[in-house]
Amino acid sequence: MKHYSILEYARFRWFKVAIATCVLSAAVYLWHDVAPKPYGGSWLGYTLGSIGAALILWLLYYGVRKRRYRSTSGTVQGWLSAHVYLGAALVVIVTLHTGFELGWNVHTLAYVLMLVVVFSGMWGVFVYLRVPRAMTQNLGDETLEALLLRIADVDREMREKALSLPDRLFVLVDRSVSGGRLGGSLLRLVSGRDPACPTAAAVHAWPSIAKSLKGEASRLDKEVYGLLLQKHQLLERARRDLRHKAVLDLWLYFHVPLAFMLLAALVAHVVSVFIYW
Amino acid sequence: MKILLTTKAGPRGQLRKTVTGEWLRVGRNAACEIHLPDPRVTLDHGMIVNRDGLVYLEGESGSQNITRKTVRSVRLKVGEPIEVGPYRIEAQAPPAGFDGALVIELAHPLPQATGFRSRDLTLASLGLTKRWAAWLLGLAVLVAFLVIPAGRVLDLPWRDTAQVAGTGDRFWNPGALILAHQPIQARCASCHEVAFEHVKDRACLECHSAIGHHVGAGMKPASLFEGARCATCHRDHKGVKATHRDDDKLCIDCHRDLPSRAKDARAANTSDFATSHPPFRLSLPTATGLKRVRQGDGPIVEMSNLTFPHSVHLDARGVRSPLQGRMKLECRSCHQPDASRRAFEPVSMRKHCQECHALQFEPAVTTREVPHGKPAEAVTVIEEFYANLALKGVPDSFQKAFGVPGEGLLRRVGEPSAADRQNALALAGRKAKQVSTELFEVRVCKTCHSIERAGDDWKVAPVRANNTWMPHARFDHKSHQQAKCANCHAVAQSKEASDVAMPTIKACRECHGGSRPAEGKVTSNCMQCHGFHDPAHAWDPNFKPRAGAKVAGAP
Repeated sequence: MKHYSILEYARFRWFKVAIATCVLSAAVYLWHDVAPKPYGGSWLGYTLGSIGAALILWLLYYGVRKRRYRSTSGTVQGWLSAHVYLGAALVVIVTLHTGFELGWNVHTLAYVLMLVVVFSGMWGVFVYLRVPRAMTQNLGDETLEALLLRIADVDREMREKALSLPDRLFVLVDRSVSGGRLGGSLLRLVSGRDPACPTAAAVHAWPSIAKSLKGEASRLDKEVYGLLLQKHQLLERARRDLRHKAVLDLWLYFHVPLAFMLLAALVAHVVSVFIYW
Repeated sequence: MKILLTTKAGPRGQLRKTVTGEWLRVGRNAACEIHLPDPRVTLDHGMIVNRDGLVYLEGESGSQNITRKTVRSVRLKVGEPIEVGPYRIEAQAPPAGFDGALVIELAHPLPQATGFRSRDLTLASLGLTKRWAAWLLGLAVLVAFLVIPAGRVLDLPWRDTAQVAGTGDRFWNPGALILAHQPIQARCASCHEVAFEHVKDRACLECHSAIGHHVGAGMKPASLFEGARCATCHRDHKGVKATHRDDDKLCIDCHRDLPSRAKDARAANTSDFATSHPPFRLSLPTATGLKRVRQGDGPIVEMSNLTFPHSVHLDARGVRSPLQGRMKLECRSCHQPDASRRAFEPVSMRKHCQECHALQFEPAVTTREVPHGKPAEAVTVIEEFYANLALKGVPDSFQKAFGVPGEGLLRRVGEPSAADRQNALALAGRKAKQVSTELFEVRVCKTCHSIERAGDDWKVAPVRANNTWMPHARFDHKSHQQAKCANCHAVAQSKEASDVAMPTIKACRECHGGSRPAEGKVTSNCMQCHGFHDPAHAWDPNFKPRAGAKVAGAP
């Protein structure tokens, strides 16, 4: 069965709805003649503002709907498709609502927050379209858990075998085994790198130290070095996977809190407008 | 082939099952015939085929198609177990009816810990929180931009926090006010008096108390403009320049079909200056007051009661001035701009006429003139002059004035007799009468005025020279100063004061187009010549009663 992304859901139904809404709004905006210049308080302004506010509330409700696993009102896939396209249409509707009248005030604050939330959502869509493929390419059949188990296996084997190696090499192995870390900071998670990785340092330092080894030690050294390289590669794959997961998550840390900030600014905007009607 | 599969589970338990197939898949995938449920095994890890005995094949790690590139190929022999991931697979002698028998055992069970802390591995585990950030940001915005400002505006218990917090309703201001309103910009309540209600006209009239209505009380403006507020046309916070639109829509909404809106209206329908504007109406002063006459409805005659031929005064050869000889007059000799330079000062006898048209009554003897404007005073001056001459006149003046030789009574030797006095008085009286008659009826007053004799006196017809022909039009002479006067006012050939030389709409349309831009025409909308608020019509505000609590600081 061909996989359909949320963007293609129901043959682009919500894309069409969004485009139609934008085109209709823009057409009415151009036809609408308001003095001295277009603004949110004309009848069209109130209409677009009401549509925009209702849309914002409905878009926020998506956070509730996606958790209601027993809900039968459409599929979550359909809701997400509508969420994405109608969220994008919101930019046009609300921009027309402003009448391009912006300033240092709570009204423009709400507008800017709306833009930031929508664009963070678009970033999320972009991430969801790209990253899963990269995740599959990185992990193949395996899981992060499997990678970690294999690293643990390699660690155990490497440690046992390195016992007979000279101290300078054993220290490298020991550091790699006991000092390894994954994630732990936002930067390390999102970048997928760890400049202080002891395994990478060991891989880098190993050949020059091991040059002088001979006989049995030399054979053992090659085995341990092979294990070290294997671990290094596993670690890189694990870090890449953590990075993918972090990137898949990160946009939501902007999208969701800013959406609630937008909700607050929207309430302040609407109430203040009607206090000073 | 048919294989007997024994899976060891725990120290004693074991599971037997029979699997058949051309080949047996080995992997984590539940579809694999030899299912190895352990995370360290890949989904399709390898396969077992029958090549004169069982052979285990393993593909490249991660490769979906293990038959494409085999990296490990091991023949399964009895007593020689192989390791597949953490599992050990050992071949046994097949029982009867089976092609082979395999024992599968998890040789290396999952260790308890992998050495990495799982709480390091996701953003959520780092303590980043969406929920708290959402609450924090939302509440911060709500408090700073709504709760605190509203506290002061609505006089809520925390009203004083706005001053401390430095935030206030200034962040509610949606846009710049016009320049004239900027002094009250910081006090929103100056206009927004009642919370959750529209701005009332009352607030506007607090300052704009002298504004005129559009129509007079006779047309019942309150019902004509029912529902309309100042803010129906005037919207502030839309920039520093204007609060109202500058095109014709608001005007022609009513004026394109005026009778349907106001049946008493006398103005003609119009929707555009270029195409449908009616001919102008002129305001003419008459004996019974101002009369409005529409151009084109018949000849228009000014009834100023003056005699004045523009043609004589604008003669190309000039006019004779008693003081300056022949001089050439121009329009501005008499029509001088007023202080605004938009209109003209009224023509005045003293300033503009009297230099030539002197009011001398006895030029042979004196340059004295009679006062202008009051006939009785003029007569008195004449009488006094001749009486004085009869009393004190030197012989030369006496003879020139009275036409007979003699001198003033008091100059003669001796006390004058009663008869002498009577004679002198009669002489002076006769002369004064004669000169007055000549002055009024023939020589001086009659030149310009319409004079009527009333017994022994004269009545000068009241002068109704018009100075403001189109009082409702915002015509600015200064902005038309590049044009010649004669372009609009053809007076050079006018011989009568009754001629009206006001331009018709046709003359205006030579330069002015309508509200749509047109080649070679000045785009002209209603507001270019007309205003909405007529100062002649007092504003009759139909105040709506004030409801609800006033906003803090409202007047």
